[in-house]
Amino acid sequence: MRGLAEDDKSSLLGRRITPGLRIVAIVVISVILMMVDHASTSLTPIRSTLAVATQPIQMIAEIPGEVAHYMGRYFDRGQLISDNEALEQKVLLLQARLQRLASLQAENERIRALLASASSLDQNVLIARILSVSPDPYRHYIKLNKGSTDGVFVGQALVDANGIMGQVTDVTPMGSRAILITDANHGIPVEINRTGLQTIAQGSGKTNELRLPFLANNSDIQIGDLLVTSGLGGRYPSGYPVAEVTSVVHQPGDEFLDVVASPTAHLNRGREVLLVWTDNTIEPVAEAQAEGAAEVEGDARGDTPAP
Amino acid sequence: MIIERRVSGLLILATLGGALFLALLPLPDALSAIRPAIYPATVLFWVLMQPASFGLLAAWACGILIDVIYGTPLGEHGLALAIAGYAVIRMRELLWTLPIWQQGILLLPVFILYEFALFWIDGVAGAEVNQWWRWLPVATTTVVWPFWASFLERIAELEVG
Repeated sequence: MRGLAEDDKSSLLGRRITPGLRIVAIVVISVILMMVDHASTSLTPIRSTLAVATQPIQMIAEIPGEVAHYMGRYFDRGQLISDNEALEQKVLLLQARLQRLASLQAENERIRALLASASSLDQNVLIARILSVSPDPYRHYIKLNKGSTDGVFVGQALVDANGIMGQVTDVTPMGSRAILITDANHGIPVEINRTGLQTIAQGSGKTNELRLPFLANNSDIQIGDLLVTSGLGGRYPSGYPVAEVTSVVHQPGDEFLDVVASPTAHLNRGREVLLVWTDNTIEPVAEAQAEGAAEVEGDARGDTPAP
Repeated sequence: MIIERRVSGLLILATLGGALFLALLPLPDALSAIRPAIYPATVLFWVLMQPASFGLLAAWACGILIDVIYGTPLGEHGLALAIAGYAVIRMRELLWTLPIWQQGILLLPVFILYEFALFWIDGVAGAEVNQWWRWLPVATTTVVWPFWASFLERIAELEVG
């Protein structure tokens, strides 16, 4: 029994490594690893390499869900037809609205130009598919099918038709992972649309709840107020809806209000999201292209023999 | 109960892969909350049954893999699995003498230890989610253990004969 129990081969300088010694070493290494990982991004390459290695098993685990999804689609013909009709009507409605929007945007830009304002409305988007949601119910992550080859970058904002969803945290060549605004580890700078009051909305760990812990008792906020991104912090583009205030409670004796909001984006529904490039993130590329064009022009001129 | 002979590394890897598949299978939120921790149970099974080839370091590496997949701080699940593995090693002489269904009951504190380590690290890292149903997997894992462990044992016996 004894011989089986202990692995006699492991020894260090003639002394045997007991499980007790080993567990102490593992605890120390783990704690150091976690601290480094928590404080800096220096472990990201290791993480990405291992993530690529685990991709196959994750893809296999997705198959049953995908099959069920497509089977459901196949059998729900009636549902599809009615959905399609509803969508067509919606498109018509939206297009009518869009026509007005185009002229409004042009007008807005003209006026902004007159004001010499730096902020712009132009934003590029890319549609990405949600490959999987976090298997851990207490962490709100999603995996997307667009990666660095599509120009996705860490910190990029994610929106759906109704509002902000989250931001990209890891990018691999063929995919990326994004944290949702409701993750307990996430905070987003917002302003109250009605008053312009700035604050921070923190995730709660529940998919339908954000908390606003930093509002003083006398803040002007009420149920139904819309929170939009303020653009402070530089991560999120400004002006996107984030959440709607659902409860405002003042605990007597507390210095801050207890405010709960529910995200406007459909965080646990849908399979597609939009990745947003705001103007200031796109600019370097545009500049590089302009430089490249200038170079080509210069070369052409250089090559032309002088008459 | 111990599998006396050495089981091949390939078989261990295959069972771990299978357990990982079950752990990653997308489930509705309500079911996901009570999903038994099959993967940690598999790791602990091999720590218990194959102490010579599958030790604490292997358990730790298995945990690191989970950290990568879940996006948790590198080392969180590694640490939790290693601590649970250490508890199993301390109890293994006793565990070996018991039939599998009694092992499950004796392993309940180990599963609690595992979940508690995760809970604690989450709290320190500022991602605390303190909801009572967080502890449900402990119960379901204990219930599932006899079935899963005897299944693994059957496979191992098939291979080593």
